[in-house]
Amino acid sequence: MSDTVVSISGWKPNPRAARRRSADHVATAFGMVMAGILVLVLASILWTLLSRGLAGLSAAAIMKPMGPPGSSSGLANAIVGSLIQTFLALLLATPLGLGCGIYLSEYGTDTNKFASCVRFVSDVLMSVPSILVGLFVYQVMVAPFGHFSALAGSVALAILAVPIIVRTTEDMLRLVPTAMREAGAALGATRWRVTLSLCLRSAKTGVLTGILLALARVSGETAPLLFTSLGNQNWSFSLTRPMASLPVTIYQYAGASYEDWVQLAWAGALLVTMGVLAINIAVRVSARRA
Amino acid sequence: MTPGTLQEMTQDSMMTKTDPQVAKSPEVALAVRNLNFYYGENHALHDISMDFQARRVTAMIGPSGCGKSTLLRIFNRMYDLYPGQRATGEVMFDGRNILEHDLDLNILRARVGMVFQKPTPFPMSIYDNIAFGVRLHEKLNKADMDARVQDVLTRVALWNEVRDRLNAPASGLSGGQQQRLCIARSIATRPEVLLLDEPTSALDPISTARIEELLDELKEEFTIAIVTHNMQQAARCADQVAFFYMGRLIEVDSADRMFTNPKQQQTQDYITGRFG
Repeated sequence: MSDTVVSISGWKPNPRAARRRSADHVATAFGMVMAGILVLVLASILWTLLSRGLAGLSAAAIMKPMGPPGSSSGLANAIVGSLIQTFLALLLATPLGLGCGIYLSEYGTDTNKFASCVRFVSDVLMSVPSILVGLFVYQVMVAPFGHFSALAGSVALAILAVPIIVRTTEDMLRLVPTAMREAGAALGATRWRVTLSLCLRSAKTGVLTGILLALARVSGETAPLLFTSLGNQNWSFSLTRPMASLPVTIYQYAGASYEDWVQLAWAGALLVTMGVLAINIAVRVSARRA
Repeated sequence: MTPGTLQEMTQDSMMTKTDPQVAKSPEVALAVRNLNFYYGENHALHDISMDFQARRVTAMIGPSGCGKSTLLRIFNRMYDLYPGQRATGEVMFDGRNILEHDLDLNILRARVGMVFQKPTPFPMSIYDNIAFGVRLHEKLNKADMDARVQDVLTRVALWNEVRDRLNAPASGLSGGQQQRLCIARSIATRPEVLLLDEPTSALDPISTARIEELLDELKEEFTIAIVTHNMQQAARCADQVAFFYMGRLIEVDSADRMFTNPKQQQTQDYITGRFG
C-alpha cells in the first residue's frame, strides 16, 4: 500500500516531482525552439528584403515611372496604381461587408436559414484561392468588354476583402452585450437606431480593425490582378484601362534577366511589406485604444 | 405541494388583492388580468392578476426563475425582441391593453421606462447618454436639453459629481454612478411607469442605499415596479409586495403585512429564509 500512495514526508526529495519538473523543462524548451524557428524564418525574410530592397530603393525608384531596362526607371506608376486599386477596392468592399456583418449579427439569428447560408458562403469565400477570384472577374468584367481595366482589378480585390470585413464586423457586434440592445430598446429606440448609435458605436474600434486587416490582406495580392488590371508600363489614371500595381510589377520584374529590373522588384517588395507592416501596426494601435 | 393546492392559493391571493387596506389608493396604473406568458413551449407565468397602484412602489419577490423578471419585461414588451416569446391575457395601461399587436412599442417604451440589473452606459458622453433617449421622442433646443440633463442628474443626485465632466465618456463612472445615470436616462424621457430589474444587485451597500433613497423620491411622480432578491430592500422601499413562486402569484399585499403577517405559509417560509 505504501508503494501506491505517495505522501510528502518532511523535506525528503520526491522522485515523482523531479520527473515532472524535467518534463516541464523539456516542454518549455520545445515550445521555445519552435517559436525561435518561426521568428528566424521571418527575420531572414525581412533581412533579405531589407538588404536587397534598400539597395534598389532610391528617389528615382519612387519618383519615376516604369520604363525599358537600362533607362533608370522607377515604380511610381505602380505605387500609385496599387494605392488607387486597393483603396477603390476598400471603398467597394466596406459598405457591402459592413451591411452584411450587421445583418448577420443583428438580424440573422441562429434559426434564420438565409443568414446561415450567407454566413457559410462568406466563410467559403474567405478561403477561395485568390487566382479563382481573378479568373471569375476576368470572365465577368474583362472578357465581355474586350480589355483589362483597373476597375476589374479593384472588384477582384474587393471580393477578397468583403468576407474578412463581414466576419470581423459580425464578431465584433456579437461582443456587444445584449443588455446594451435591451437598454436602447427600453428607451423606445427603433432597432436600426440601436444598431447604428449603440452597437456599431461600441464595436467601432473592432470593426475598423477588420477593415484595416482586409486592407492589409489585399494590398499584397497579385493573382487576382493578373487577369483583371493586368499591369501597365505607363502612367494611367483611367479606371477602364489597364493599370500598373506593385505586386504585378514585382511578379514581372523579379523573373526578368535585366539587373535593374530585378533591383526594382526588390525595392517594390520592400515597399509592399512596409506598407502591410504599417497597416498592421495601425491595427494594433487602434485595437489597444479600444 | 401539489399543483391543486397552489391553484387554491393563487385564488386566495386574488382575494387578498381586494383587501380594503391595499385598495386604499384607488388609482391603478397597471391592471394585470389573467396574464399568461410562454417562452416557446415553456409556460412561465400562470394566470397572473394584480394591480400596480399609481405613484407607489410595488416590489416583486420570489426565488430565481419564479417569473418576476418575466412579468416586469411584459410591461414594456421587452419580450418582443425575441421570437418565440408570447403573452396572453390583459395588461391595462391608460385605457389600452398593452399586449395588443398594433400597439406602438416605441411610444409604450417612452411611457414605461426600465432600469436593468447591470448598469449599461451607452458608448458616449454622460450628457449624450441622457440626451439620446430624449432625442428619440422630443425635439428640444440646446438650452432646454441642457436644462433637462441637469434636472434629471440633480434628481438622481449625480449632478454635483459630474457637472464638470458632462462630455467625458460615461464608462468612466463608478458602478453606482453608472446605475444612477441609467435611472436618470430612464426618467429623462418622462415616463409614467418605471420598471427596475434588480437595480442594486451589482452595487455595493452605499450605492444601494443611495438608490433606495432615490426610489422614495421618485415614487412621488412615477409608478414603480421593482424586482428584488433582497428582502430588506423590499421591506424598506415598497408599499406593496407580491410574492411569486414557480410562475404563479402566491400573495400580494401591503409591505407591512407581507413581512409581519403573511397569509400564505409559502410566503412566510420564503421571507424567513426557509427556502429560495
